[in-house]
Amino acid sequence: MGRAARFWRSREGALVLPALAFYVLVYLYPLSRIVGWSFFDPDFTLKFYRELLAEPAYFKALRNTLEISVLVTLISLMLGYPLAYLMTTTSARARRVLTVLILVPFWTSILVRTFAWLVILGNNGLVNRALLDLGLVEFPQKLLFNMVGVQVGMVHVLLPFMVFPLYGVMSRIDLNVVRVARSLGAVPRKAFLYVFLPLSLPGVGAGCILVFLLAIGFYVTPALLGGPGQITLATMIDMMINTFLNFGFAATLGVLLLAVVGGIFGLFSGLMGLNRILGAGEGR
Amino acid sequence: MTGARVALWALCTLVMMFLIAPIIVIVITSFNGTPYMDFPPKSLSLRWYANFFSSAHWYDTALLSLRVALLTMVAATVLGTSAAIGIVRGTFPGRRALEAFFISPMVVPIVVVALGFYFLFSRYHLLDTTLGLFLGHTVIATPLVIVMVRAALRTTNPAMELAARSLGADFWRSLRYVTLPSIKATIVAAAAFAFLISFDDVVIAIFVAGPDTTTLPKRMWETIRFEIDPTLTAIASLLTLVAVIVLVGVELMRRGSSERVE
Repeated sequence: MGRAARFWRSREGALVLPALAFYVLVYLYPLSRIVGWSFFDPDFTLKFYRELLAEPAYFKALRNTLEISVLVTLISLMLGYPLAYLMTTTSARARRVLTVLILVPFWTSILVRTFAWLVILGNNGLVNRALLDLGLVEFPQKLLFNMVGVQVGMVHVLLPFMVFPLYGVMSRIDLNVVRVARSLGAVPRKAFLYVFLPLSLPGVGAGCILVFLLAIGFYVTPALLGGPGQITLATMIDMMINTFLNFGFAATLGVLLLAVVGGIFGLFSGLMGLNRILGAGEGR
Repeated sequence: MTGARVALWALCTLVMMFLIAPIIVIVITSFNGTPYMDFPPKSLSLRWYANFFSSAHWYDTALLSLRVALLTMVAATVLGTSAAIGIVRGTFPGRRALEAFFISPMVVPIVVVALGFYFLFSRYHLLDTTLGLFLGHTVIATPLVIVMVRAALRTTNPAMELAARSLGADFWRSLRYVTLPSIKATIVAAAAFAFLISFDDVVIAIFVAGPDTTTLPKRMWETIRFEIDPTLTAIASLLTLVAVIVLVGVELMRRGSSERVE
């Protein structure tokens, strides 16, 4: 490659500059302001962090957040793995249908879907009426403003983020390897457990990390479908700003949330890498 | 079909029903004749749709959302496409780190990003302005454009651009006539999704919008918290329709072009 080619290549690199300037001003700068707000009132202070450690309500919000996120991740994996496996092993035609059926809800507004669950899971909603009509229960079950509602709503939103990375990895597995295992005498269960499953583990890792990270910062669904027991860091930040006008403390909770996400991310990025995690999910 | 295969299909059918049910239920409910959101409806009408289109309370918010989403779409597409080309074709050091930085708004909790906007905008009098919403939405829409365009660029052949240049095309001409046409379908698809991200956003609007700049999702949010207004079912159905139109459009374009749009 001659000098001229290298010159043009560097010109192309300059194309990142408008986005870089925009990101620094409108994304990085405000994020750094959050850190600033958490340490000043108006002079340097650690009182917000002391309050954070002293008040059990905040620790509880952190615990709620992690509890909800772990459960959402596990349920999404349990539902998403079979779905991705089916997409990998079925005909191209069936795969197209499945993809469309996943993409339509995926691109439907989260608010719309959360609202739909409010209607479906309410005391007079579809699920409770079906249960009552079938005689399975005597009274309407409480499916909203508790963990059930939050899990249903969040798994619905985050399941595709599990399926896409899983499918991304599974679709690159050479199914002939499984066939070879079968022809060498492995029963289907063993061929799956010892051949396919281990090869699909990178997808499991990427999907779980992505879903978990998104769940930790999730706001709309816990706020609308959760109850007092599902107050998360995200919903608490909103309360601090829009109800209590406690900006310094909202900022401190923001820093805590960033630290949790960043910590988990740092823990796994060595293993997986951001581009790997997001790259696998780019079918969205 | 083996037993295991039947079980797999059965399980996946249930999962798909779970995914698609809320949308079907809400669309059917929106045609209710009664104000009780019966399912299935006891009588049919279009009254909730009429309610939406005839009341400024709702309709004006939709126009604002549309305006912000169109502005965001243009800005996010230009910034994102340009950044993706720079990252994939450029040779400067630190490209991987920059790429991660550009994509990071997809995993940084949106509440935290919105909180940052709140602080920034309160300082520069951008709270409750269209400009503030537009800036905020551009931050959350650009990463997806970068991810999509980046993927498309990696499937194209850079030798074509080098060939154009060796034949005398300057940087801008090769960009205009070789690079961009080869990823045209992806850029249009990314723009459509950027539009949708802005149009559907509620979290940023909760933090930075005010009484003068209430977007449609923000008005829905406020309404849902205090009452269950059946007009919401009509709006929810219309928003679903917008998403379906975008998806169908992208799919048709994908079929019409040789390039692979993810």
